[in-house]
Amino acid sequence: MAAVTTTNQAQKALELLRENKNKFDLVISDVDMPDMDGFKLLELVGLEMDLPVIMLSAHSDPKYVMKGVTHGACDYLLKPVRIEELKNIWQHVVRKNRGSNNGDKKDGSGNEGVANSDQNNGRANRKRKDQYNEDEDEERDDNDDPSSQKKPRVVWTVELHKKFKFRLYLKRISGNQQAIMANSDLHFLQMSNGLDGFHHRPIPVGSGQFHGGAAAAGMRPFPPNNGILGRLNTPSGIGGVRNLSSPPSSGIENVASHLQKFRLYLKRISGNQQAIMANSDLHFLQMSNGLDGFHHRPIPVGSGQFHGGAAAAGMRPFPPNNGILGRLNTPSGIGGVRNLSSPPSSGMFLQNPTDLGKFHHVSSLPLNHIDGGNILQGLPIPLEFDQLQTNNNKSIIAGNSMAFPSFPTSLPNNNNHLVLEGHPQASPSAFPGHQINKRLEHWSNAVSSSSSTLPPPGQNSNSLISHQFDASSSNYSIPFCDSTIPLNPALDHTNPRAFYRATDLDSNANVQPGVYYDSLQMRQSGNYGPTTDAMLSSNPKEGFTVGQQKLQSGFMGGEAGSLDDIVNSTMKQEQSQGDLSEGDLGYGGFSSLRTCI
Amino acid sequence: MELVQMQKSLQDYTKSLFLDGVLDSQFLQLQQLQDESNPDFVSQVVTLFFQDSDRILNDLSLSLDQQVVDFKKVDPHVHQLKGSSSSIGAQRVKNACVVFRSFCEQQNVEGCHRCLQQVKQEYYLVKNRLETLFKLEQQIVASGGMIPAMELGF
Repeated sequence: MAAVTTTNQAQKALELLRENKNKFDLVISDVDMPDMDGFKLLELVGLEMDLPVIMLSAHSDPKYVMKGVTHGACDYLLKPVRIEELKNIWQHVVRKNRGSNNGDKKDGSGNEGVANSDQNNGRANRKRKDQYNEDEDEERDDNDDPSSQKKPRVVWTVELHKKFKFRLYLKRISGNQQAIMANSDLHFLQMSNGLDGFHHRPIPVGSGQFHGGAAAAGMRPFPPNNGILGRLNTPSGIGGVRNLSSPPSSGIENVASHLQKFRLYLKRISGNQQAIMANSDLHFLQMSNGLDGFHHRPIPVGSGQFHGGAAAAGMRPFPPNNGILGRLNTPSGIGGVRNLSSPPSSGMFLQNPTDLGKFHHVSSLPLNHIDGGNILQGLPIPLEFDQLQTNNNKSIIAGNSMAFPSFPTSLPNNNNHLVLEGHPQASPSAFPGHQINKRLEHWSNAVSSSSSTLPPPGQNSNSLISHQFDASSSNYSIPFCDSTIPLNPALDHTNPRAFYRATDLDSNANVQPGVYYDSLQMRQSGNYGPTTDAMLSSNPKEGFTVGQQKLQSGFMGGEAGSLDDIVNSTMKQEQSQGDLSEGDLGYGGFSSLRTCI
Repeated sequence: MELVQMQKSLQDYTKSLFLDGVLDSQFLQLQQLQDESNPDFVSQVVTLFFQDSDRILNDLSLSLDQQVVDFKKVDPHVHQLKGSSSSIGAQRVKNACVVFRSFCEQQNVEGCHRCLQQVKQEYYLVKNRLETLFKLEQQIVASGGMIPAMELGF
């Protein structure tokens, strides 16, 4: 039975949600509301509260549905709403709450749930905002599937979100990857100061050298994804990661999903991908000022150099997702990453710094690549990823020493290898922050002197990985509340249902509910460490091709003949792994990744 | 009137509403949501519908009476009415709204006025019928009887 709270005003709804974040499990919102656009509310709820949101409208125009999907809706119901559709709503909630170990069980329980609930749409408290309040469902449900454990959820407080945004900002601060890497690392250092007692460091963020370099080299900077998660350092290590098949404390999933949502949000607000990058940079800059303890630095964010450079070079700045995931320094490593069931050796950047050495050892580029993508799967990777994909891959490869011909020799080399080529070189302490700092500083000095545009060698593997993640992520449909939002439009066809599901929950009737979301669920596979999103997709029913986890085979960073080959091999691996992975891979509660934005 | 007779009357009456197209299957769905724990569900929802619709129709009248009609304001109202009426199962109201919206798109003031009249007409009709229906139900309940479940086979 579900307890339903209704309101006519979106503002009121937001207040209620903010005040009682844990009280609600699902939000149903009309598109046309007097005080706020329903899509806007959708974004806000997704960003702030990470609740599944179902859109509701009499607008049957596919473009509205599309808009709902791209804004992160878990579903889009057309009025008049039929009971059968309402009966399926609970799936969204369960999916979100699904425990990591319950992937398989869920199927059964999911079925039971369906069978048992006649009119119960969701065993959840629901928030309903509608112009016209129709209390179509007033029953009360027990919360969630009895067999599943409600995973603690990270509540994205405004403060946390600010931190998050700031980190993102840092990552993006320059439109140039290299710059990002340097800058963001530096920034992260700074951030760390403000956030959790890290050490402040003056960083020449705004130096235009970076982007120019990157643009010239045609490379994509590696976003030091590490940064965001790593520095988030919430007490529980970002705890409460949803659905973690892995150790509970890693907040990656949460951050990842949050990032995803945020990205979508940004995308919405700008409308143009490149504009997004620029805008979001600006946006971040503004946000950073308000952030707690961050070091304010006049940064010429608006300077056209960055994105201008990037744009000129036709590159897309790397989404800083990498940064987000990369530096996860939570005690438990990134174990808690949702459903990242990549093999422990797969360098989940999620792992502890010490593991990073392992990580980039073991993981070949593609692995990282895929893992990154997987991890970010929960993230609404902006469409730009698509383009990033092709470019990024190239740039990643380009990141190899061969691609950086003019790389200053003064820069430490080992990192370069590790990072760029994915060779299993010993760079054991590649990760530790201070080393990075040193390298970065070193690099930035070198860069400024050489004015070349090489990616900072200081990139730890995390950056690389994260970069790859981004790139790879675009390969996958981001499983998004089961209606995956295909960030890569090309992927739509693989899962039409995921893409646009106005009212066809019913049409899935023949698909077991458990499986229904399980395509996105990660089934736990035992020995994988952080679960990757890659695992996520391999449900053939869903037609995803995610599944990658072990890309070790074959992908040898740096040595690949051509970028295309690499990409292709990556893709193939994904595919094959996708086939294999089902059932093998421990998705482990991927569902949390699939955040309904 | 005997209970059984009242129940029969109610059923016939309801059936006629469906046959006339005043109500559609969505109304049945609403009825299905009503049970012991929600004994007045349908009437509550319908009452809300009446309240909102009264307001909307009022706003529509005002908007259309302006010297210069702002269709950007008119259309959302009609859309809302269309949505709510469809959710209730007020089929004819909804259909009238659909026509209304097309005139809005054409920015046809005259057409919109006619549509508004049509919508109002249909609305008052369904309102009237439903109120009658609820009265019948109340009588049955007051007499200690149960509201017969609507059969779909008509």
